Amino acid sequence: MFSGANAPLAMLLAWVLSTSLACASDNMDGMGSMDGMPDHGQHSSEFVLFLSAEAHHFTAPESSAELNEDANVIADALLAIDRDRFRLLGEFQLSRVEHDLERFQVGFEPVADTVIWLGRFHQPGSAWNTEHHHGRYLQTSVTRPSVELWEDELGIIPQHITGLMVDSRRQVGDYGGLQLAAGAGFGTTITNEGLDPVNLLDPHFGGRRLALSGRIAYLPDFVGTSAFGLLVSHSVMPVLTKSTAAMLRANQVDQTVYGGFANWNGDIWRLTSAVYDVEMNLSGLAGSERNSFIAGYAQLERQFPHQLTAYGREENSSRAGDSVYILVNHPDFELRRATLGLRWDFWRHQALTMEAAHGQTSRAKEFEYRLQWSAALP
Amino acid sequence: MERGVAVMSRANRRLSAHVGALLLMMCCSLSALSADRLVLIVSAKSPVTALNSPEIQKLFLGLTVITHDEVLRPLRNESEEFIRQIFFQSIVSMSESTYERRVLALTLQQGRTAPPLYRNTKMLLDAVAADPALVSYAWAADVAKDPRIKTLRVLWHE
Repeated sequence: MFSGANAPLAMLLAWVLSTSLACASDNMDGMGSMDGMPDHGQHSSEFVLFLSAEAHHFTAPESSAELNEDANVIADALLAIDRDRFRLLGEFQLSRVEHDLERFQVGFEPVADTVIWLGRFHQPGSAWNTEHHHGRYLQTSVTRPSVELWEDELGIIPQHITGLMVDSRRQVGDYGGLQLAAGAGFGTTITNEGLDPVNLLDPHFGGRRLALSGRIAYLPDFVGTSAFGLLVSHSVMPVLTKSTAAMLRANQVDQTVYGGFANWNGDIWRLTSAVYDVEMNLSGLAGSERNSFIAGYAQLERQFPHQLTAYGREENSSRAGDSVYILVNHPDFELRRATLGLRWDFWRHQALTMEAAHGQTSRAKEFEYRLQWSAALP
Repeated sequence: MERGVAVMSRANRRLSAHVGALLLMMCCSLSALSADRLVLIVSAKSPVTALNSPEIQKLFLGLTVITHDEVLRPLRNESEEFIRQIFFQSIVSMSESTYERRVLALTLQQGRTAPPLYRNTKMLLDAVAADPALVSYAWAADVAKDPRIKTLRVLWHE
């Protein structure tokens, strides 16, 4: 991930993060420890460490590439600085499999609830990832749906863009709201390891093409968490590895995704669902080939006494098993999977979750059993 | 003194006792009346004259509320357990765990920060008085005689 040529950038980023962390720490320790002073300093900084540890058993051999999704221990450090109309957001993930600056974005809020972000961000065309990002504690299930996996987890849809994003929320009526978000910037390339977005710790922009993404959502309660909306994203992905280009018979993949989602949060019931129509054009010297498929999921959760939450998720797809893109570049994509789980929230911001799933990829059918501890500290 | 008491008739003594008790009750009642109202406060220098319930809820969730071109900043009053309970029940209208999860999600999703907590009323009032952008809440009795503080509305009363 680090290279000597980009050491100055890495050092600059490390300095910004460490300075910000020190600032946050000073605010919390220096003022929070004094009786009567604010526990969160001048409310301008927030540092959260998302931790998770997992034990699992798979009945089929694990993927050829070790997935971060399956890493035993993952730490995700989040730093937010909020000063008047300016924001800075950094998210750094560390596991045995990877260490990566997942998000690093600077924002300006010219009017209330409209923020212009510059940097590397999560594309707004994903229903799950814009809700949970990398913080595993905040997602009820251990796993995320296969169609929502990150690029380095052999995900099939680019999830990171480095560029500009505008995120705006407007009040509609007395309580409702409308969210509009759009992002544009440097997109993803394809290598023999899957999708490869811009790595801020070792940035290479050569050969990258424009990526676009957007969402429009209706919020029944402006300050609530329920949302229903439409998603769209478009990526032009050059294939950089010759062997992959030969197998795909393409040196460029144009991917357009149309989606819809419904997230409904009741008192004890919660529904998270999305469906994506993935349209692709694989073009090379010998011509081009179009293929498309549909993939989606619905996760239903119910809360019980004693901080227990039971959930079930059904993932399914149509024509994905026939797609060259899936067969060649993403053979571990779950064509369908049924998941059941039980989560127990205990103490403050800690949870234990056990999950069982039966999935089918283009290569095999398998059962997965997982036990996870997750937390958000402090 | 003894003499004075001696010359006071039984009826007068009874009347004095009743008047004294009544005054004491009135004082206690006024104090209780003031203490039993939680009010939304800003600095007397603040241009803010009113905030409605949705704006207050947004503010204390960490969302942006701008009035008179100024970004308002909330301070949570945790000087008493009772005030803490009122905050969740009447101001943000959600359980403590839901509130904490929501604020955590907003940090993760939008880079927003949680409102700071104050456990000392005097320090809270000093902070609010000094900064026109700050908004908080306190017992009416604690701010009634403080000219530096402006009361916007009653958030809760018994």
